[in-house]
Amino acid sequence: MSGPLEVLVRMVLTLALAMASAAMLVWVERRLLAAFQDRYGPNRVGPFGLFQLVADSIKLFTKEDWIPPFADRVPFILAPTIIVATGLLSFAVVPFTAAGALVDLNIGVLYFLALSSVSVYSIMLAGMASNSKYSLLGAVRAAGQMISYELAMGLSVASVVAMAGSFNLREIVAAQEGLPYVVLQPIAFLIFLIAGLAESKRSPFDLPEAENEIVAGYHTEYSSMKFAFFFLGEYLALVLFSSIATALFLGGGNGPWLPTIVWFGVKMAAIIYVFIWVRATFPRVRYDRLMAFGWKILVPAAILNLLVTGALVVAGSAGG
Amino acid sequence: MTVLFYASAAVATVGSLLAVTRTKALHALIYLILALFAVALCFLSLGAPFVAALEVIVYAGAIMVLILFVIMMLNLGPESWARERRLLPRHAWLVPTIMAGALVGLTLVAILGAPQQATQAASVGPKAVGVALFSTYLIGVELASVLLLVGLVGAYYLGAKK
Amino acid sequence: MTPQVTSAAMSATAAVPTGHVLAVAAILIAIGTFGVLLRRNLIFMLMALEVALNGAALAFIGAAARWGTADGQVFVLFIMVMAAAEVAVGLALILQIYRRTSTLDADILDTLQG
Repeated sequence: MSGPLEVLVRMVLTLALAMASAAMLVWVERRLLAAFQDRYGPNRVGPFGLFQLVADSIKLFTKEDWIPPFADRVPFILAPTIIVATGLLSFAVVPFTAAGALVDLNIGVLYFLALSSVSVYSIMLAGMASNSKYSLLGAVRAAGQMISYELAMGLSVASVVAMAGSFNLREIVAAQEGLPYVVLQPIAFLIFLIAGLAESKRSPFDLPEAENEIVAGYHTEYSSMKFAFFFLGEYLALVLFSSIATALFLGGGNGPWLPTIVWFGVKMAAIIYVFIWVRATFPRVRYDRLMAFGWKILVPAAILNLLVTGALVVAGSAGG
Repeated sequence: MTVLFYASAAVATVGSLLAVTRTKALHALIYLILALFAVALCFLSLGAPFVAALEVIVYAGAIMVLILFVIMMLNLGPESWARERRLLPRHAWLVPTIMAGALVGLTLVAILGAPQQATQAASVGPKAVGVALFSTYLIGVELASVLLLVGLVGAYYLGAKK
Repeated sequence: MTPQVTSAAMSATAAVPTGHVLAVAAILIAIGTFGVLLRRNLIFMLMALEVALNGAALAFIGAAARWGTADGQVFVLFIMVMAAAEVAVGLALILQIYRRTSTLDADILDTLQG
C-alpha cells in the first residue's frame, strides 16, 4: 500500500534533512564565527574546509568510548540518546513543505513543548549518572536554566496560539498568509529567540558547558560517540528552534514565486544566522543574572504580552 | 487506538511497579517518568490529546524534575541504597501486598462485573477543554491559581535555611 | 497525503470499554497505595503518591471518554495543579526533615508519640 510506504519515505526524508542541516551547521557556524572574528575558519580539509565535518566525525568515532567505572551505567548511556531522540522527534511537526509536516498533529505546538521539556532529563541524567563534581554542577545549572526559559518560551508561544486559534502548526502558518506574526508579536518573537538560545544552551547562555568554568559541565565524562550525540543534539536543537520560529513567527514557507521549502529554508537560515551572530557578539551571562533575567524580565514580559494579545483577540472577535 | 491503550496501560503498570520497588532513587524516578509517558499515551488513545501533552509537559517535565533536583541535592549514595535494601526484607512485602491486592481485587470484580459501556472514539480537542475550563469551571481555575500561590510561598518558606 | 492524526483518524472500529480504563486506573491506584505502605523512605513515598494520582487522572479521562465531554480533562488539569503544589510543599518539608534528622526515614519522626 502506498500509504505506509509514503509515510516511511517522508519520515526518512525528514530525518535526513534534519541531520543534514545539523551536520552542515557545524561547518557553517565555524566559518561564520571565523568571519566575525576576522580569521580563517577551517579551510584545509576539502574546498573551503567543507569536509571538516567528515574529519571531525572520524575523530569522534575512533576515540576510545570509555564509561567511567564510578558512573551509573544505564542513565549514563541513556542521557545522550534522549537528547538526540527528542530533537529528531520534534521535526515531525515542522511544516517545511507545502503538504505540511510529517504528522498533522492538532496539538503540534504542545508536542514540541513536551519534547523540549523531556530534553531537560538528558542533561540531568548525564550530570547525575556521571558521579563527578563538574558534571553535577553543570547539570544543576543547565536544568535550572532550561526549566526557567521553557516557561518564557511556552508563554510567548501561547500568544501566537491565541492569535491563530489553534495548536496546529500548519494552521498557524496558514493564519500568517497576510502578515507574519513577527510584525504583530515582536515581543513574543524576541522572547522566543532568547528562550530558544537558552534552551539549546548556546552562547550567551552556555554556562552549563563553559570550558573555562567547569571543564565541560554535564558532558565532562563523555567521550567518542556519546559526546558526539550531545554535540549533535545541540545543533539539532539549534535547527529545531530556528524552524519552529519560522513556522510560528515568520510564516514559514509562505512567499511568492519560490516553492514552500525554499522559502522555509531561507527564513530558517536567517534565524540561524542571527543565532550564530549572537554567539559571536555577546559574552557569557553569569548564572544568577541569567536566572534573574529569565524569571524577573522574560516571564513577566511574556505574561503581559499574552494578556494584551488575549484582550485584543477577544475584542476583535467580539466586535468583528 | 485500542491497541495503543492496552500497550501503554501495560507499560504504565509495569513502570509504576518497578518505580515503587527500586532501591536506588534515581532508577525509581526514571521508571516513574516512563510510567508517566505511558499514562500520557493512554490519555491520547482515549481521545484526550490536550491533557496527554500537558501530562508530559507539566507532570513528567516539571514535577518529576523537581523530585530529581531534590534527589540530586540530597546526594544519597551507596549507603542509602544499602539501607533501602535493608528496609525491604521479605516479610515487609507481605502486608502491603495483601492489602493492595485486596483493594484492587475487589475493585476489579466490581468494575468488570458490571455491564461494559464503550468509550467514544472521537477526541476532545484543546478548544473544548479551554471553553469548559473558562466557562463552567472558572472558579476552579481561580482556586487552582490560589493553590499554586500558596504552594509557592509555602515551599519557599519551608525550604529556606533557618 | 500527510497522515492525519486528528479526530477523524482516531475513530477505531472497536473502542476501549470504560470498565477496562477504570480497571487500569484502579490497578495504578493500588500500586501507588502499595508503594506508600511498603516504603519507609519519604521520597519513595512521594513517588508512589504520584503513581496513585495518575491512576485517579486516568479514571477521570476514562469518564471523559465515556461521555465525550471535556469535563474529565478539566479535572485532570486540576489534579496536575494540585500534584504540583503538593510535590513542591512536600519536597520542601522533606528537605527540612533531612536537615534536622540527616535521614529520610519516616519512622524516625515519632517525637510526638505518647
